Amino acid sequence: METERIDRVRKSTINHISMEAGETLKRVEEDFPDNPEKMGYFYDLLRKVYCDRDRPSDRRITIGTTCIQVPEELIYAAGAVPLRLCSGAYSFERMGTGLMPARSCSLVKATLGMLSLVPDFYHDSLKALVIPTTCDQKKKAGEMIREMGIDVYFLDLPSRKDTEEARAYWYYSIKKFVTFLGKITGKSPGRKDLLDAVRLMNRAREEFRRFYSLRRNTPSPIYGKDAILVMNAFFFDEIGNWIDALSQLNNELLERNQKGEYVSQRHAPRILLTGSPPIFPNLKIPLLIEQTGGVIVADDLCSSTRLLYDTVVIDETGPTDILLTAISDRYIKPCTCPFLVENTDRKRRLLQMIRDFGIDGVVYQAFSGCHLFEMESKSVSRFLESEGIPMLYIETDYSPEDTGQLSTRVEAFLESIKQRKRGLNI
Amino acid sequence: MNYFAGIDIGSTAIKIVIIDEAGEMVSHYIAPTGSHFYRNALDGLMALLEKTSIERSEVKYIVSTGYGRKLFKDADESISEITANAIGAKNLERTNGSIRTIINIGGQDSKVILLDDAGCVKNFVMNDKCAAGTGRFLEMAARNLEIDIDEQGDYHFRARVPLTINSTCTVFAESEIISLLANGHSREDIVAGIHYSIARRIAGLAKRIGIEGMVLFDGGPAVNKGLVAALEDELMRDIIVPDIPQITTALGAAIIARGAFLAEGEKVYV
Repeated sequence: METERIDRVRKSTINHISMEAGETLKRVEEDFPDNPEKMGYFYDLLRKVYCDRDRPSDRRITIGTTCIQVPEELIYAAGAVPLRLCSGAYSFERMGTGLMPARSCSLVKATLGMLSLVPDFYHDSLKALVIPTTCDQKKKAGEMIREMGIDVYFLDLPSRKDTEEARAYWYYSIKKFVTFLGKITGKSPGRKDLLDAVRLMNRAREEFRRFYSLRRNTPSPIYGKDAILVMNAFFFDEIGNWIDALSQLNNELLERNQKGEYVSQRHAPRILLTGSPPIFPNLKIPLLIEQTGGVIVADDLCSSTRLLYDTVVIDETGPTDILLTAISDRYIKPCTCPFLVENTDRKRRLLQMIRDFGIDGVVYQAFSGCHLFEMESKSVSRFLESEGIPMLYIETDYSPEDTGQLSTRVEAFLESIKQRKRGLNI
Repeated sequence: MNYFAGIDIGSTAIKIVIIDEAGEMVSHYIAPTGSHFYRNALDGLMALLEKTSIERSEVKYIVSTGYGRKLFKDADESISEITANAIGAKNLERTNGSIRTIINIGGQDSKVILLDDAGCVKNFVMNDKCAAGTGRFLEMAARNLEIDIDEQGDYHFRARVPLTINSTCTVFAESEIISLLANGHSREDIVAGIHYSIARRIAGLAKRIGIEGMVLFDGGPAVNKGLVAALEDELMRDIIVPDIPQITTALGAAIIARGAFLAEGEKVYV
């Protein structure tokens, strides 16, 4: 009886995810003209995984992650494949609601809901799950996931990054993680494995940097909703295929920029999106912004730009220890997640992008119950105001029920930007 | 003559303002939205035209705003109620001085809008999801107290000690009001308590962006003098209420309509 019931819930949830994903893809593809042709690869991939349940068939050992602070090169070096499990599905969020306090993060709830019900959503052979000790909700959810019978590894992160002690602490944490990976996969990564893995990841980063630069063009050759989808695909796509697909998209965007082809209107407000990460199928805020006439040209999201922006700087001739130091530094120094105390780097980074991309306004999304992003919003807003950049703060979750109110707010925000640019001629 | 119309289709009422080429208000219209708001808005416009003896063809540009703005197909353009409200308020400056903060309470939402020196929207906050502390809340209270919604202001000033209404949720507040009545509290004290409860909520919203300069309070509930007094107490400052507080947003839409028409005209000559 009990198993039958769980089976029924599992089946109907998978159905709901498929509908949810299908609807988002429909909006993404049909509501916008001029989508780049090479986006087709990414639309198809998402449709395959979410709607048709046709999962990538990689026979290698899969190690799940719930955060971008896990060095993926270490997983590759140990002969396994990383898989980011952060979920953006509302149907999974509802499954996780009973497991978490009422006001808690949609992303954590959805991930927890997915793992409790469909742990093999992306892949059959999830060998272990790595959870960096960033925010409290992810940490405590990790304990619950362990109780579900999944092998959970807590990757110990310090809560600041600006001291030598924190750096050393993190370095030892990384070394311990390498030992763990060796035990799991039966292969302790050597110097050459590490070098190869760093090179592989850096190839993805190079292609991403090209993508990032192409988006600086005014007017923009691509919508932000597509850029976010490209990065979401990186969560689970085979890395070589992903690099090839992005390379082709980049070539198309370069051509567009040269020919003067662009999306939206020439003077559409240029938006930077920050805060809690949109993850497919939850494209609620990006779609609202771009259907109302704005274009997201940049972001500092951990589901997008922050995933691959920074590179691992290596001395190819150096010993293994130096290589590990380079990797561990890459995974803490540039981090701008609000779990860090003294997160001034985030503001510096935002301002840099505002200047590089000619940003007209910032939209700050916080998932209700994410105290870190909620609390940091005030200081970011004051900072941006002092720099003369308007910011719209949106507290929301995966549910579609606040869409009506939000569309009015987004519309008014974009109107106020246009008004400001025109110098109020009405 | 050329005329311009702003139509504000809110959740509770439809407001229409017609202005002339000089930007002066010719006439206005306020009626319940009802369930067939498109037809009701159209009927309202026709009634207003008849009353003012203006031909439909003389209305050169219509801008719609409010919840129904996108579905009113007879409009030339639509604009969000936040921008329209700001422009409407700026236009009231002539009589009221320089407004820097607008507090608007509507049928199912409430917002606080900050304006810069030029009258542009600088920042705004709005309640999400829930109808607590809005016009609906006042309607519910009047119904439970069995008094007319227009009488609430008078009841407020006759109160001896305003009671505390703890529930901000409209549904829970309803049972709280009923039990206060059952416990023998006067309607006057309950009404004043309700006004302070709404005012505290709005003050909380206002604190999130920080009130600046002169404050204007508009929207339907602003006709309630008791609520105005409670809001002044909670904000610890004077607030200005327009003569007809319901129509600021429709006026803003009409002004935008006029601006858009004149701008199009310029293009022809260029």
